[in-house]
This record gives sequence, C-alpha cells and structure tokens, in this order.
Amino acid sequence: METTDSPITSLTPSDQNVLSENDIDSISELEDLLPPSKMESSNESKAIDTSSDNLNPKDVHVESQQDDAVVFDGSEKLVNASKDNGPEDTGEIVVTMLGRGKLDEQGVCANRIPSPLSETSLEASSHWDEDVTAESWRQHRKHVFVLSEAGKPIYSRYGSEEALSSTMGVMMALVSFIQSGDNVIRSVYSDEHTVVFMQQGPLVLVSVSSTHQSEQQLRNELIYVYNQIVCMLTQASITRIFEHKKNYDLRRLLTGSEKILDGLLNLVDFDPSFFLSAVHCLPVASSFRDSLSQILQKAITPNLVFSILVAKNQLLTIAQEKMVIEDAKLDPADLHLLINLIGASSAFQAGEIWTPICLPSFNPDCYFYAYISYLDPPECTVCLLLLSTDNEAFYAVAECKRKIEEAMLAQNALTYIAKAQSYSVSQVGVSDLRHFMYKPFDVPDNHHQLTQFTSPEMEAPYDSDEEKMRLLDLYRDMHGRIHNTSRPLKLIYHVAARETLLAWVTSKFELYTCFSPLVTKSCAINAITKLLRWVKKEEDRLFIRYPPKYSTTSNASKS
Amino acid sequence: MAEPTKKLKKPDVKIVLLGDMNVGKTSLLHRYTERKFKDTVSTVGGAFFLKQWGPYNISIWDTAGREQFHGLGSMYCRSAAAVILTYDTTSWQSYVELEERFLSLTDTANADCIFAIVGNKADLTDSHAQASNPEGEEGTEPARLSFSSSSLQRKQVNKEDAMALYRRVLHYKGLDEKACLPAESMCFETSAKTGYNVDVLFETIFDLVVPSILKKRNEGESSTVDLEAPSTAKRTKAGCCA
Repeated sequence: METTDSPITSLTPSDQNVLSENDIDSISELEDLLPPSKMESSNESKAIDTSSDNLNPKDVHVESQQDDAVVFDGSEKLVNASKDNGPEDTGEIVVTMLGRGKLDEQGVCANRIPSPLSETSLEASSHWDEDVTAESWRQHRKHVFVLSEAGKPIYSRYGSEEALSSTMGVMMALVSFIQSGDNVIRSVYSDEHTVVFMQQGPLVLVSVSSTHQSEQQLRNELIYVYNQIVCMLTQASITRIFEHKKNYDLRRLLTGSEKILDGLLNLVDFDPSFFLSAVHCLPVASSFRDSLSQILQKAITPNLVFSILVAKNQLLTIAQEKMVIEDAKLDPADLHLLINLIGASSAFQAGEIWTPICLPSFNPDCYFYAYISYLDPPECTVCLLLLSTDNEAFYAVAECKRKIEEAMLAQNALTYIAKAQSYSVSQVGVSDLRHFMYKPFDVPDNHHQLTQFTSPEMEAPYDSDEEKMRLLDLYRDMHGRIHNTSRPLKLIYHVAARETLLAWVTSKFELYTCFSPLVTKSCAINAITKLLRWVKKEEDRLFIRYPPKYSTTSNASKS
Repeated sequence: MAEPTKKLKKPDVKIVLLGDMNVGKTSLLHRYTERKFKDTVSTVGGAFFLKQWGPYNISIWDTAGREQFHGLGSMYCRSAAAVILTYDTTSWQSYVELEERFLSLTDTANADCIFAIVGNKADLTDSHAQASNPEGEEGTEPARLSFSSSSLQRKQVNKEDAMALYRRVLHYKGLDEKACLPAESMCFETSAKTGYNVDVLFETIFDLVVPSILKKRNEGESSTVDLEAPSTAKRTKAGCCA
C-alpha cells in the first residue's frame, strides 16, 4: 500500500482539519457504536498504528479495488492511499479506519477473534427491547439501520429505534458532512467492523458488520432491506411522503412490519439464495412439477400476472402471463422478498389475504395485488400466491385458488409435496464432497428463465447453526472474491483448516464446493467432473426447466 | 379445510371490520371463530373469512388498521352489508381515527349498510369485563382477576361517546336516525381477551344482515360481487398510489 501525504483536492484545507480532528473521532465513535455524547470528549488524538502489517487482508483487498480510495487513518493527518491520485474523478470517498490500536484501547474488541470466518454469534430475531448500551448489543454480528434524510430513525435490527435516535443522528451527520463536500460516504473500515452507507432516495441505510463480507455484498444486503420496504410502500409513495414532509416518521407506515425486516435479515444470513441472487427450487420429479404448472396455467382470470406455488420456503413452480415474460421477467430478488414476506409473518396463516404488494425490481413505483393463501392449514407449508394488476379482482382470483385447490386434491398433490424434500449430498456419490451450490447460467430454450441454483441439505459437520453459518461465511468469502470488481477470479482453490473449498465460475455456471480437508487437488477436480455429470442427469428434477406461461383473456399489463 | 364442499360456498353477504391498528380487530374475530385469545400479529392487507351462519355464508373482511393499507379500504368495503367500526376503549385517538380515516372508506358499502361501533379491550377498563369467561376457564381466572383488577386503566372512550359517533355516522350516510337501528343496540363494549360481549356482537350483526341476504335473493341478484363493473382502467397497478 502506498501512502502519501498528498492533500485531497476535493476537500478544502479547513475541511481536512475538521475531518481529522473531530470527524475522524466521530467516525470511530460510530464504529464503536458508542453513544454520541462521547464524541466531544474524544478530541485528543489517539495512538493509532497505521503500519501496513496491521492491516488485515480484507482492508488491503478493498483498497486495491478502489483505485481512487481516500483513507483517513485516524491520525491527525489525512492520507491518500490510492494507487493513483484522483478522488475528484468520482466524487466518492472510501473512508478507511485503520485503527486497531484505538479500538483495542477502548476495549471494544478485546474479545474478538480477527479471523474473518471464526465468528458465529448467532442471535435470534427481534431485539427491539434490547439495552443498546450493553456490551452484548455491540457484539451482534451485523447491525442494520434505516433512517430518513432528516435523521429520523426508521428501523434498527437490534434495539429500539427511539433508544438509538442519537446514534442514528451521528450517522446522518456523517452522511451529510461528506455530502456537503460534494462527496458520498460509502464505507468505513476497521479491523473488526465494516460500516457501509447507502442512500436510496430519502432513506439512508447503514450496515455495521463484523462478518468480513465484502462491501459489495453488504451493499446488496442493504438493497434487499430497502427493497423490502419498497415492496410494502412503493418507491413512489416513499418519495412523495418525504417531498411533502421532510421529517415524516416512516415508522407510522411500517409499524407491524419490523418482523418482516427482521426475518429478511435472518434469511440473508442463513440463505445463500440472497447472495447468489438465484432461486432455490424444491426438487420434485419433473412430471409432477409439470402437472402442478398445468394446474396453475388452467386457473386464470383476466389481469392475473404471476401464479406462484411455494412449499417449505422453496419454489415449486411459477406460471406467468406471456406478455410479462416478454417485457420483464420476475427477478429472483423479488421472489426472495415475497417468500420472506409470507414466511416472516403469521398474518398470512389465517383466512385468504388480499393485499397490495410492490415488486421493486419489476417496477418499484406500482403495486400488484396479491392473493395469498396456504393450501394446507394448519401446517401452513404450501402457499399459493396469485398476483393480479386489478385491485378489485379478489373474488375472481379467489375462484382461481379454489380451482387450483380442487385440482391438487384430485391429484393428491399435497401428499406428494409433503414428501418432497431437499436431497443429500451422498446421492451424488462422490466421497469427500460435503456440500455444494451450483448455479447454471445456460438454460437452453429459454433465456428468460428465472436464475436458479441447487444445493443439497447441509449435513454433518454443518448441521448446527454455528457450523452452517461458518460454511456460509466461507462461501460468502469465496463469492466476494470471485465477484471482486477490480480483480475478479475464475477459480479459487482454498485449503482451510477444517475443509477445502473450490469455487469455479465459467460462462455456463457458477459452482461452490466444499470437500473434506484432506482432499487433493486432482481428487477435487475429478469430483467436480462427477458432480457436474450428476447435476446434468438430475437437472429436470432440480430446476424448473421450462417456466410455464399462460395468456389471460384480456391483455395483461406491460409495465 | 380442503374438503370439496368448500368450493361450493358462495358468500351471501359481506361484513367488514375497520379500525385503527392495534385495537384488536383480528383478536375479536379470532376470539369468535377459534374461541380463544392469542397475541396476533399485525394484519397485512385484508384477510377474508367465510362463516357459516345457519343456511347462509357470511364473508368477513378483517382489514389491516395500518395507514399503509389504506388504499384498498374501499375495495374491502364494497357492497358490505355491515361495517364494524372498532376502537380501543383506552385510546381516544383510536376513536377519533374512526371518523377521520375509516368512515369515508364505507362510501362503497351498501346503501342500507348496518353500522356497529365497538369498543374493544374493555377488560382493561371495566372489572365486569374481566370477569367474563364464557369458555369456562374458571381455574385460572380468579387469580388473574385479583391481580389485574387493581391495575385498571383509565377509560378514555365512554359508551356515550360511541353512541354519539353512531349518530354522526348515520348523519354522514344521510340516514334518518329514527328509521335505523337505535344507538343503544349498535354500540358494544367487548374484550377479545376475556370473550366479554364478543359472541353477542357477532351474532347480533349476523342476525341483522340476514334480512339483507333475503332481500337480495328476492331481487334475484347474483350473490357474488360484480367484478367487471367498476374496473374501467386496465392499468390499475398504480391504483393504490393514487
């Protein structure tokens, strides 16, 4: 890493002073998640080791990807760590805190293990009554905050928003301070935490993570959070509300929806479909899936656009209005949001629900009207979603559900679905292979295909929540390196202490595999050849090969 | 639930539960249908239920009280034969909201729509509502009663307020008070928690809507909602934003 004293042209000298003396401290305060009242008292400079041997590989990694990165090193100087100068080119600043010494000094991270993947403090959801001054609150793996541009708290993953209003105030102060210099704050790094800022219209989203995920991955997660809010309110109405009243308390509209955001963040942590941006299908015989698709295709009504059958939080089949497929396909991200929405709230388990829902990737400004009903109460594992563009279509759509229910009953489909489950990696018949995730790109015949992936159950030794999370963290790390924007990789062979991983991306697929630690390279490559052959053989069962279409009598909407 | 008879059911009449969030609409309905009280979660959109009442099928819309779902309110109310306006007896605001936010949604209801004003959570303010236990849960009741009767909350909305609201509702709908059901019989104080007055509320309303079912049948109208009639615009995705 090259460090120079060259001043940053986009900031005036006085700005530098302010930044170096006050805001660096407030950045680190935020980083420590201390109450901002401590901000004033921390003006004296602190001994901070900025030597490069103190950087963990992640820091170096990120900086090298940001050619124009500006680093605040926490000392009284502002240093430009970019390989070539030119922060003025992009107007974006990466603030990097390299202050291990400082953090240790404050005792915040004394018990932390620096290894990126060793931390697995798994927390249950919904901590709204948690004491935000407690050490345990700071120890959470990943905090997510949503606030309005006026600094009003909207959502916090842990702890009540009220208790955190001053912390969120500091976050907003940071965002607007950097903004006043015609810049955008993107992230703050320390050894232990990555703080990622993202502004979406009038909302500011902040992720404070100790997971050592890449900035891009954290940013994608914040987009999911933003989109889940949009899914409930639409982007247009959020914009309109804040244009009308800048200090509007958005929680008024989101009360009761905190669970949905909590659920989303738990899924984001535990479900690889989010970082893979692909849909996980429940494996069933292709003939059975086809018969379900036909049932959906037959039960249609004008303005019906999507008919989706979900079982055990995995997709069974999805039928779409023909016109829609030509215009814009359903994005996996939208489907993730829908599946989270129904899974996160038990409100859907009683009666037949009719509610406006926005699919942000499809069209962030408008609503679909969703009919949601479980087909197997009281177990509530098989859920039918019918999306229409007509807000008055409830009774017509409910009639479609009766037809679907009747046809499924005739075929005894619910019994089959109840038996369907994910598969074991042992079925692949490759010794040493413990787990894998396979995401094909080239589905012939239909390039409008929903992006899917397949993956076996996580079995021993990954059967505890801690171990599952550890494997997922390893995958996330590989994924982050494969998709590094400045230095993308095609193939990673990673020998770790407890397993060996191989990630491989080609024009046809993306593959992540996990082997026992003693596997040899040639052995792993052989295994992958076998695995690819097996997937090819099973693909009719593992994927939705030909997404069914229908055409409702009247022309459905083109967004 | 999946028995084949279900598909034959066609709703004869529609009842809508309206009211601010957290007043206990879902809990009231759950208490009536499931005979128990549970902590429900915030309703999303509207939930549709069918209730067999003698030979009739009564559809009930349990709506979300959150502002977020206001856009669909008039859809849920379309052609309703009865609207249950619910407030929380311990929250004056929830009472005010009925007139400010929810009354206008009933514009799409039937012209002869029946209104009921319901003050829920009566167990928090009235000791006799706490004592009510129609399910015979005597075993646990006395202990809880002695504990909670000392912590009664201040009642913010009295029955007189509810009756005054009822009269204003009739006035809003342009109905003659004398021709309508009297306020005394259409204002209820209930407790979904103890079950106090819940059966009385729903059964009174079911009995009152039966004549409108018969009337509709005599007039030979279809018992289902006419779907094609109001949907003029095809691009209705933005309907809720408008």
